Amino acid sequence: MFKKMKKLVALMLVFVLAISVVGCGSEEESAKAGNKAKTEDVSNSEGSSSTDEEITLDVWHLWTTESDGNAVSFAKALEMYKTEHPNVTINIDATENEAYKTKIKTAISANEAPDVFFTWGAGFSQAFVDAGQVAKITDYLPEDALENLNMSAANNFTYNDGLYGLPFISWVGVLYCNEEMFDAAGVKVPDTMDELFAAIEAFNGQGVIPITVGAKDAWNAMFFQNVATVRTAGTEMSTQALKKNISYNQKEFVDGAQILVDLVAADAFDPSALALTYDEAKIAFLNAQSPMMFMGSWLAGEVQNPELSQVVNKVVAKNFPAIEGGSYNNEFLGGAIDGLMVSESSEHKEVAAEFVAYITEKMSRESFLQGAGIPVWNIDVEGEVVDPLVQQIVDLSTESEGYIVAWDTFLSGSDVSTHLTLVQEVFAEMKTAEEFAEGMQTLNE
Amino acid sequence: MNRVLANKKLIFIFIFPAFLFFSLVVIVPILYTGYLSTLEWNGYSDSIFIGFRNYVEMFSDFPKGFTKGIINSGILAFLSIFVQVPLALILALVISKGIKGEGVFRTSYFIPVIISTTVIGQLWLKIYQPNYGMLNYMLEAIGLSELKRPWLASTETALACTFFVIVWQYIGYHMLLLYSAIKSIPKSLFEAAKVDGARNAQIARFITIPLIKPMIKVCATFALIGSLKTFDLIYVLTKGGPIHATEVPTTIMYRVLITENNYGLGSAMAIFIILECLIFTVFIQKAFKTENYTY
Repeated sequence: MFKKMKKLVALMLVFVLAISVVGCGSEEESAKAGNKAKTEDVSNSEGSSSTDEEITLDVWHLWTTESDGNAVSFAKALEMYKTEHPNVTINIDATENEAYKTKIKTAISANEAPDVFFTWGAGFSQAFVDAGQVAKITDYLPEDALENLNMSAANNFTYNDGLYGLPFISWVGVLYCNEEMFDAAGVKVPDTMDELFAAIEAFNGQGVIPITVGAKDAWNAMFFQNVATVRTAGTEMSTQALKKNISYNQKEFVDGAQILVDLVAADAFDPSALALTYDEAKIAFLNAQSPMMFMGSWLAGEVQNPELSQVVNKVVAKNFPAIEGGSYNNEFLGGAIDGLMVSESSEHKEVAAEFVAYITEKMSRESFLQGAGIPVWNIDVEGEVVDPLVQQIVDLSTESEGYIVAWDTFLSGSDVSTHLTLVQEVFAEMKTAEEFAEGMQTLNE
Repeated sequence: MNRVLANKKLIFIFIFPAFLFFSLVVIVPILYTGYLSTLEWNGYSDSIFIGFRNYVEMFSDFPKGFTKGIINSGILAFLSIFVQVPLALILALVISKGIKGEGVFRTSYFIPVIISTTVIGQLWLKIYQPNYGMLNYMLEAIGLSELKRPWLASTETALACTFFVIVWQYIGYHMLLLYSAIKSIPKSLFEAAKVDGARNAQIARFITIPLIKPMIKVCATFALIGSLKTFDLIYVLTKGGPIHATEVPTTIMYRVLITENNYGLGSAMAIFIILECLIFTVFIQKAFKTENYTY
């Protein structure tokens, strides 16, 4: 009896050992599987009459939430592509946003990038392009492929005068204002800086936190400095400073930071904003606890979703308040930063490039209809119902005289941390506007 | 058995696979990290050999704040050794005396150790939450509303609040180690002491503590190393913020490696953390000269 038991135990131990050895060996695979939120093989039906050769493309993206506007639109675009290209098999690998950043960086540094991958333009992909890992997409596309693309929107994917990726939507930063709360407080929805400060004072008088911001995620606080600097310095001058061509030690940049200083001094924000994440701040807006939030156009979808929001159809989108006599009152924070790229190591660069052009053009339309962004391709939405809030944002942006993307996407590497730290220090009243400008200037020296 | 142990070749054969495995997963990566730390490399482009310049840059601060991170982790190490372990010792001494509900106390103090750190972090985020958090709520309830503050949002309180949670979480762990050490002391010693008329405090001072000194050393080592390489709770609670107030070497290393793509500098920080842990461990071993008792 005991002998049997002993043998059994020994056998189990061997089994465990074998499993752990195997487990170690295939760690990479299992990690991969763990990261995959969704994997689908889209194979063409057998007996397809296509004469083209069979091709498989690996595609990586980050739309893991099925209700996400871009996820829905990507699925639709992919379905259309599949029916038109039965010979192409698409392997999708979707990873959640933060994990995706690490994953794509790792894959590219290991020379294992997929044929097509989602990425962000400007600073984020700069290193990929510099390392020669991204195909210059215009080399692999027929001439007329991009005739519908709004080329000025593609400038974030332009590196060394070449186009390396294609965007599908752009975003703009707008001031979301809860009209119901403004009416109840008897305050005018602000168009100018003076009106904004008047509104802040009025809401503070009623014990309402005027503007909700999740400054624990530093980029939330950064938006205010970025957009204020758009008003004082304009997009062109900001871009030149970010490109390290001109100095930040100029009145325009100090004034921009000063607006943030003034907002903080006027108690525009929750005193504990530095402990709140973007999600927490957003909830305060969607629950009608705070009347204002400055955020990208992507928030519109959630504002108008009755399952998430108690402020459906009560919100108006405003341009960030104007400065009286300012020359940059119709410029915006935003731009086309989301896009797809083709890897230089892909074996089917032409098919991949065509796939990217096809998908981004179709997604441009679908994502817009989902309220996820502003289209950057010329699209036809005749007869489709567009959400009124989304339409407001589109109307605002069509009159735009200039764009600049958020500074943390424009900058790269440790410059991003330096910038975000400086903004948080201004936010916490630890640095003056002048010190902020000087701090930024250290990046350019 | 002796014959087996005398056979050097046999020992080698048995030990080699484990040694090989250990080298592959521990020693080789450390050496490789050491190599990376001498490079200027962003992970994609060609790397440039720059010798020890990363180590110089590491201590030349802004915006990395590495020296501040080291000071912060030093404070945590101090708190761990001189607050956490002594508290654990007192708890262990008290509940090992066979008080009523010994098991209940032992289990409840140990619960924070079992719960995932992420869960602990979320729990304390809710306690510190400025608007509806338990701490501010309680302060108001007992009429101390002037003490209410955004605990994790203020650079003055964030560090203390974070460290409080870390120290609190592992008290139970050290308590259990010390408790089991106390339980392994033969009862006859205590009985003899009692017969001689020793009071509880005297028993603890002259019998229990000297006899569990080896375990105290283990606890102190764990507490020290744990605080030098702490990461998870800080990441969940504050991500090193607000404005880098709660930054420790590991969170800075994470930021430099992952968000700034600076593999050289990040590796130099990793090497520093490894060396720091090794040096302090040796230091602790020297500080506790212990004899082994056999009963």
